[in-house]
Amino acid sequence: MFKRTVTDAMAEFPITGILLVLLMLAAWEVSVRSGLVRSTNWPAFSAVTAALWNGMLHGELLPVIGSSLWRMLRGYLLGSAIGITVGLAIALVRPVRLTLEPAVELLRPVPITAVIPPLIFLLGLGDSLKVFCVALAAFFPVALNTISGVTGIEPIYGQVARTFGIPRFAALRRVILPASLPFILAGLRTSLGLALVVTVIAEMIAGQDGVGYYLLSMEYAVRAPEMYAAIILLALVAYALNRGFVWWESRLIHWARTREAAGGRA
Amino acid sequence: MNVRSQGKAPEAPSSSLGASRGGESLTITSVDKTFGGKREVTALKEVSLAVAPGEFLSIIGPSGCGKSTLLQIVAGLMMPSHGKVFLGANDVTGESAHMVYLFQQYSKSLLPWMTVEENVMFAFNHRLHLRKKAARDRCSEYLEMVGLDDFGKYYPWQLSGGMQQRVAIARALSSEPKVLLMDEPFSSVDALTRMELHALVQELWERKRFTALLVTHDVDEAIFLADRVAVLTHRPATISEIVGVDLSRPRRPVEVHENPRFLEMRHHLLNHLLRKPEQSDEPPV
Repeated sequence: MFKRTVTDAMAEFPITGILLVLLMLAAWEVSVRSGLVRSTNWPAFSAVTAALWNGMLHGELLPVIGSSLWRMLRGYLLGSAIGITVGLAIALVRPVRLTLEPAVELLRPVPITAVIPPLIFLLGLGDSLKVFCVALAAFFPVALNTISGVTGIEPIYGQVARTFGIPRFAALRRVILPASLPFILAGLRTSLGLALVVTVIAEMIAGQDGVGYYLLSMEYAVRAPEMYAAIILLALVAYALNRGFVWWESRLIHWARTREAAGGRA
Repeated sequence: MNVRSQGKAPEAPSSSLGASRGGESLTITSVDKTFGGKREVTALKEVSLAVAPGEFLSIIGPSGCGKSTLLQIVAGLMMPSHGKVFLGANDVTGESAHMVYLFQQYSKSLLPWMTVEENVMFAFNHRLHLRKKAARDRCSEYLEMVGLDDFGKYYPWQLSGGMQQRVAIARALSSEPKVLLMDEPFSSVDALTRMELHALVQELWERKRFTALLVTHDVDEAIFLADRVAVLTHRPATISEIVGVDLSRPRRPVEVHENPRFLEMRHHLLNHLLRKPEQSDEPPV
């Protein structure tokens, strides 16, 4: 009843968009093969693909991306968990709001990259520095979205919980969290993209391993195919992460989307 | 006609009062409600009312007169500026135990992330801590009462407006409240569905005999369901009149609407409601 029909899905399939990507890759290949661009810094797409293939199968690329993702995941989960908790506390407890909100508002606009150098003094060049940076970057979108999600809840939901005498914690778990989940998830999605960016930057600034460090090393070594291979791998990983997240999100809050599709009798 | 003008405020009830049928009477003693802000607005002034256990009382009044405010105060969802609410001899001002509020906006009051079944169980499971089997049984018992036992697995937004309101009724009654407070619960469904819901609520009330307080601006509805109809005046609202409804039960919609007694009461109440508010300082909303 609420599923889109097959023809609708086909009408939404981005044929021209895929063609454009293929065309750009072909142009890349042609630009090298035709001799239009001659440079050791501009390898053919086929050479980059080969580097990617070799790097993933029996080279250094797999552990490189693996260590980056593991680092990102830890920072992301840490920052998100603290973000949701702090966001809930700010939205629900007035003294907490009055205490924390000015600080959050003041720190939020500071670019995370600017604080990496001073953080190196405090945390050194090791993993904890990078995980902390990712967590910090992930924290703000999640916290702010949690706050606006919780403060924007239909007042009637709170009244329903009260009229049935639902205890505070149960109301939090069964009413407040689900009601604000669409917002929290939007924040988590923003943070996911940000977390990957900050991981790579942190590895570039203070790295011993990971994709960011690898990219810089390959640049210094003038190994252009490996460098581009790492970038393509990052693009694929970011795309997969986002698609995976969207899929997970649509399962978690299927009621929010399908309700709109059903006419959203509000 | 059993009409009395606004009486004295009922005294705070003694413990012996309202012990019949195991129920407790609901007493509202001189409740005032003033909303602050730049211009203070007095929504309710000296509203006093006693509802016998198991009685069905309708409250009618012009829109915006403060009917919902009164009901929310009784429900414990809002504090009065002055005055108290008693259930039996207990002061329940600001408390919502034993009372359930049936919201006007049924589509919003049902939680969209829960199925119909989960919505109903949510109402009683946090208080009663039933085992899974018992909770399910109770849930289907109440869904059956409103004719929706086949729709437990649906989400509320997949149902029609009338069905959603029936889910809301099942949910409200499943927590077995002593008092059911209804805030214009039938105002946003079509006329036929409304009559069906009236019949349903009457049937459930006869079966369960909870105390019922219905706020509405629909005179027909107020008379059809109630034992007594209280009339609220325009802002600041006070009770100007209480009319006893001497129509036998069970009442059938078609018959009742042609009954001369019904028409007489309807005539009287409409006349009363349509009279211009004399000392009102605000335009009617």
